Amino acid sequence: MAQAFQKTTCPYCGVGCGVNMVLPNTDKAPVPPVSGDEMHPANFGRLCVKGSSLSQTLIDHDRLLTPSIQGQSTSWDEALDTISDKVAQVVKDHGPDAFAFYLSGQILTEDYYVANKLAKGFIGTANVDTNSRLCMASAVVAYKRAFGSDTVPCCYEDLECCDLLIMVGSNAAWTHPVLYQRIAAAKQKRPQMKVVVIDPRQTATCDIADLHLAIKPGADAAIFSYLLCHSDRAGVVDQTFMADSTSGFDEALTCAHAATPSLSFTADFCGVSVEDLACLADWWVDTEKTVTFYSQGINQSSSGVDKCNAIINCHLATGRIGKEGAGPFSITGQPNAMGGREVGGLANQLAAHMDFATPGAQDLVKRFWQAPNMATENGLKAVDLFQAMEAGKVKVVWIMSTNPMVSLPDTAQVRRALEKCELVIVSDCKNNTDTTAMADILLPATGWSEKNGTVTNSERCISRQRGLLPAPGEARHDWWAICEVAKRLGFKPAFDYQGTHDIFAEHAALSAFENAGKRDFDIGHFQSVTQAEYDALVPVQWPVPKGQPAGTKRMFADGQFFTADRKARFIPISPVLPQHARNQEWPFVLNTGRVRDQWHTMTRTGNAASLARHTNQPYVEIHPRDVKALGLQDQGLARLVSPYGQAILRVKTSRATSPGQVFAPIHWTQAFANQSVVSNLIPQVVDPLSGQPESKHAVIRLEAIKKPLFAAILSTQALDLSAFLYWCRIPSEHGFYYEVALSSAAEVEQTVRDLKQQTGLSEHWMTYQNPLSGQSRMACLRENQLALLLYWHDQPQQLSVDWLVSKLAPDSPVLEQERLAILAGSLAHSEDKGEIICSCFQVGHKQIQKAVAEGVRSVAELGTRLKCGTNCGSCVPELKPFMPIPVEQSA
Amino acid sequence: MMRIVIVGAGMAGSKLAEELAQGATAKLAITLIGEEPKVGYNRIMLSSLLAQEISDEDMPLVDLQTMRQTGVDIIAEDPVVSISSKHKQVTLSSGRVMDYDKLVFATGSKANLLPIEGANADNVMGFRTWQDVDRMSALPAEQKVAVVGGGLLGLEAAVGLVKRGHQVTVFHRSGHLLNRQLDAAAASLLQNRLETMGIEFCLSDSPTRFIHDTSGTVCQLLHGDGQRKPVDLVIMAAGIVPETQLAQQTGLAVKKAILVDAQMTTSDADVYAVGECCEFEQQTFGLVAPIWSQIKVLTQVLAGNAANFTVTPTPTKLKVSGINLFSVGTIQPDAQDACLVFEDVSANHYRKLVVNDGQLVGAILYGNVADGSWYFQLIQNKTKVTDMLDRLIFGEAYCQPEVA
Repeated sequence: MAQAFQKTTCPYCGVGCGVNMVLPNTDKAPVPPVSGDEMHPANFGRLCVKGSSLSQTLIDHDRLLTPSIQGQSTSWDEALDTISDKVAQVVKDHGPDAFAFYLSGQILTEDYYVANKLAKGFIGTANVDTNSRLCMASAVVAYKRAFGSDTVPCCYEDLECCDLLIMVGSNAAWTHPVLYQRIAAAKQKRPQMKVVVIDPRQTATCDIADLHLAIKPGADAAIFSYLLCHSDRAGVVDQTFMADSTSGFDEALTCAHAATPSLSFTADFCGVSVEDLACLADWWVDTEKTVTFYSQGINQSSSGVDKCNAIINCHLATGRIGKEGAGPFSITGQPNAMGGREVGGLANQLAAHMDFATPGAQDLVKRFWQAPNMATENGLKAVDLFQAMEAGKVKVVWIMSTNPMVSLPDTAQVRRALEKCELVIVSDCKNNTDTTAMADILLPATGWSEKNGTVTNSERCISRQRGLLPAPGEARHDWWAICEVAKRLGFKPAFDYQGTHDIFAEHAALSAFENAGKRDFDIGHFQSVTQAEYDALVPVQWPVPKGQPAGTKRMFADGQFFTADRKARFIPISPVLPQHARNQEWPFVLNTGRVRDQWHTMTRTGNAASLARHTNQPYVEIHPRDVKALGLQDQGLARLVSPYGQAILRVKTSRATSPGQVFAPIHWTQAFANQSVVSNLIPQVVDPLSGQPESKHAVIRLEAIKKPLFAAILSTQALDLSAFLYWCRIPSEHGFYYEVALSSAAEVEQTVRDLKQQTGLSEHWMTYQNPLSGQSRMACLRENQLALLLYWHDQPQQLSVDWLVSKLAPDSPVLEQERLAILAGSLAHSEDKGEIICSCFQVGHKQIQKAVAEGVRSVAELGTRLKCGTNCGSCVPELKPFMPIPVEQSA
Repeated sequence: MMRIVIVGAGMAGSKLAEELAQGATAKLAITLIGEEPKVGYNRIMLSSLLAQEISDEDMPLVDLQTMRQTGVDIIAEDPVVSISSKHKQVTLSSGRVMDYDKLVFATGSKANLLPIEGANADNVMGFRTWQDVDRMSALPAEQKVAVVGGGLLGLEAAVGLVKRGHQVTVFHRSGHLLNRQLDAAAASLLQNRLETMGIEFCLSDSPTRFIHDTSGTVCQLLHGDGQRKPVDLVIMAAGIVPETQLAQQTGLAVKKAILVDAQMTTSDADVYAVGECCEFEQQTFGLVAPIWSQIKVLTQVLAGNAANFTVTPTPTKLKVSGINLFSVGTIQPDAQDACLVFEDVSANHYRKLVVNDGQLVGAILYGNVADGSWYFQLIQNKTKVTDMLDRLIFGEAYCQPEVA
């Protein structure tokens, strides 16, 4: 009998897809694979590969289960007492600003709400910042500058019904796969719909692009500056809208003319061809229904706010806002960055879309909260916060559900800051992250499927993440831990919640409190929500004021904004390039981003072996010309050096990146690899308005690592590989799988001795030596079970280790006739899938090549045959290049 | 009717007689003359018989009864003592004289008796015949046995004797066992295994003297370093030499063995030689495969058909105490050769492949020899193995595309 499923929301990107989850029959049984919620307006049943693999991430491995103080397990009471005592002491001795929260776009709105309330109303500090600072802080400031409020005007439907979609600074095919799939499907239905991608790299998103502008890194604002000028010249400025609903056009236009005086100047500034830019400009003026879709590529910049406003200016000038299929659409990277914004969970916000500077706001909030210690001015934004920590000003930090040791720029500085900080509290579900390693107090948090509350996605849609599974061990909800500390600090009446519905109701009440249409964020409809109503909440787009339960699809349809005069503001923009320019000493620009199948710092996706198959190691993408010039080797190792630090990554030769530029994904942490934290290289350059770091830009140099010796290592136990030049743990179904390298073959003997000692293996080793192929392999079986295996090779290579990994499973003895295969790497005649392209169905490149050789001629046929590309579709851009080039019909 | 006399009823002689008898009985009168009391048995199986892995019934190589019924005259325990090629007659030990039209030497070989002082004693014996096995089988319990020679024969004797509860020490002049077939690594695996059975080894060592007691029986031997060791029995297994005494007396051309041409004809046009006693193109033969092919050639020749014997390299396939060994081609690589080596001690599995200039030139397999014939083919056909070097050692199944 099919079991009834429960609805919840995906914990990954800002698309916020609805997920159906079937609960296991018994406590110990694994959760069956999840499916997409066909009723959810974000995804209508679709899921990407990360979402599809969610149940694989619900494992006990490395789960943080008990509170600890300085590494010693303790009780919650003890931990909470210690925290509240220390907070009370530093606030007394050094003032409230000696305390800070550093939160996360992964925690729920209710967690955010109580943290924000405790800090800003009761402790008295606005030091409440979050990893959302790294994600969309620039977009927030730009919306506020333009609209007087942090309001995303659009909805996802606009992406499907527009006639021109300009995707800028976004590789949505990999980062927001379900939205991308919706766009791709819409374009397939209406091929006349045009898609333009503006990105220095040729990304997977370019697959559906009619036009790709591979701009110079950071030059985006100039494109939109030019489009503003061109709109004026072409006469597509919406004079009525401009007069009724905007102000500041003339100054903005003057500034734009000065910045981008001509097509050729702009094309040159942006490093694109005159023809391509002219094409975009023509399409722009011709297409009323245009959406500009932007993400981290715009936001993570020292001029990120200006870039966003350059985009918004164009939409205001043409009146392409508040209408179906039109608008400047910022897409967030996190599941609940928007929820954090709504409660005011950023250092430069107060609460409920009110700022400290909003007239009357401090008083309003103080009265609503009955707050004894209101903060009165902005707190420290992420980078400033960690600098203040290093300077000794912030003495207690409570980090929740985020990994700043990997995500903030200049990891060395972050380390110094956390070392200096007197009390570092880290709430997480994982035991070993780069940040938990820095904690004085560790608090075990509930995770996705245990946490219970709400999240808001990129189109203002509030959905429930439901607590469906029991909390393991001593894990507790973050809101509970915050409230417990608040109670110990003497604020019991204000933090005595019965559950998250209680918090949500209060949050809703604050949003409606003395609002009367003055503020965009109003969910007053929920201010008296009952537990039952809350549990049954269906996805709804805010605002949801009292009496309007259906929510609001699109904003600004009435041309009314939230500035004092209700008019939107044009902002004069002078495009600038990133702060650090490459030079002789630092000849390469490093761009950063994501890979298809990982999420953030891999604390969740790193649990799913299948997600490691597409890209299993950290890499740096380099143009073949630079690879050759630097004496690098594809798949070999390169050292990346910046003035701030170093990293060692695999070389991936690719024409997707231009010469002089390189690209590295951000996901790998020291928990997965020893030398791959890319934020090590990034300077703490921030946008002066948003405080968002320029995380997608560093200047570096590259050094080839000559003649390392590579190895794959499989082990039934975790190994200390600190002696290796490079190691990376690749998530595997069983045991531990590492790809490693030594500086030279001379170290092998000592290394093998060390590993034998570590593992205590005294059994005979199987060995295989082949000097002609540079192969040296060894394996040790204990009681006929594979215990440790080392495959050395003098050239970089990737073997399929699937079968070997299966032999690490308990009760999977190596049969007599399989012993040879242990050193061969597979059973004879077994199919070698090759590199996995389709993660959903685990289809590899060799299988695809075979199918094409046997006559498959389209991606659709391939899907029928091998199923690849038929679930989440995110591998389709990678499937296309396998197809033979069709023979042109001669005329 | 052509009268064919075969001198020697070992494996080659018996097999030839059977082949001829099955071929064209009407025209041939076949006489098979043997020295041993038992004829027509499979000498290769003597070690298994000694080790009590098989019994007497498993020993026959040919069906003597059927042969007799088809008219073959089988004479046992009555060796030929002289031959007159002029009169085309042989004289047997019993004095019986027989005429022949065609004579075939199949006298085989004998143990190579090392010139060690004191070796001439009753309890110094070879390991060559069924009688030798009978004698070893009848030994009193827990004898101290010295086996001189760590080649295949010596090891087989040692294994058989140790299985019968005797204390066996093997002396071998080379630094590792089976040095003509194995490299040191494979030999060491074999040695370890045999040691666990209780066999003791003295490598790079040879007895220098056998000391007799008053009755003329060897009771001690001297190691190369002068140490004494008590012994009850000495097995000489330091190789074999072709049995050519009679041929030399007869006046046939003999070098290492009786010289034959591609039709197995000796220097006398009516006299042939096959098996371990013959020499063709400077080679002598100890393995079964080329000898069987000699017999096929000679059968054709005697039937008046054209046939040519050619030497093809033959892999050595051995079995010692249940361990299969395979060896072919170059096994001691020089500087131009590269060795691919697989070793799995616990599973008694070892492989070494010698590759030169993109071709396989030698192979040693220990334990699992299933891929031996494939490697042999690669060597024979001079197949380019460059594209499969990274899989070659794992055998044919890893290198051949799957048949769809």
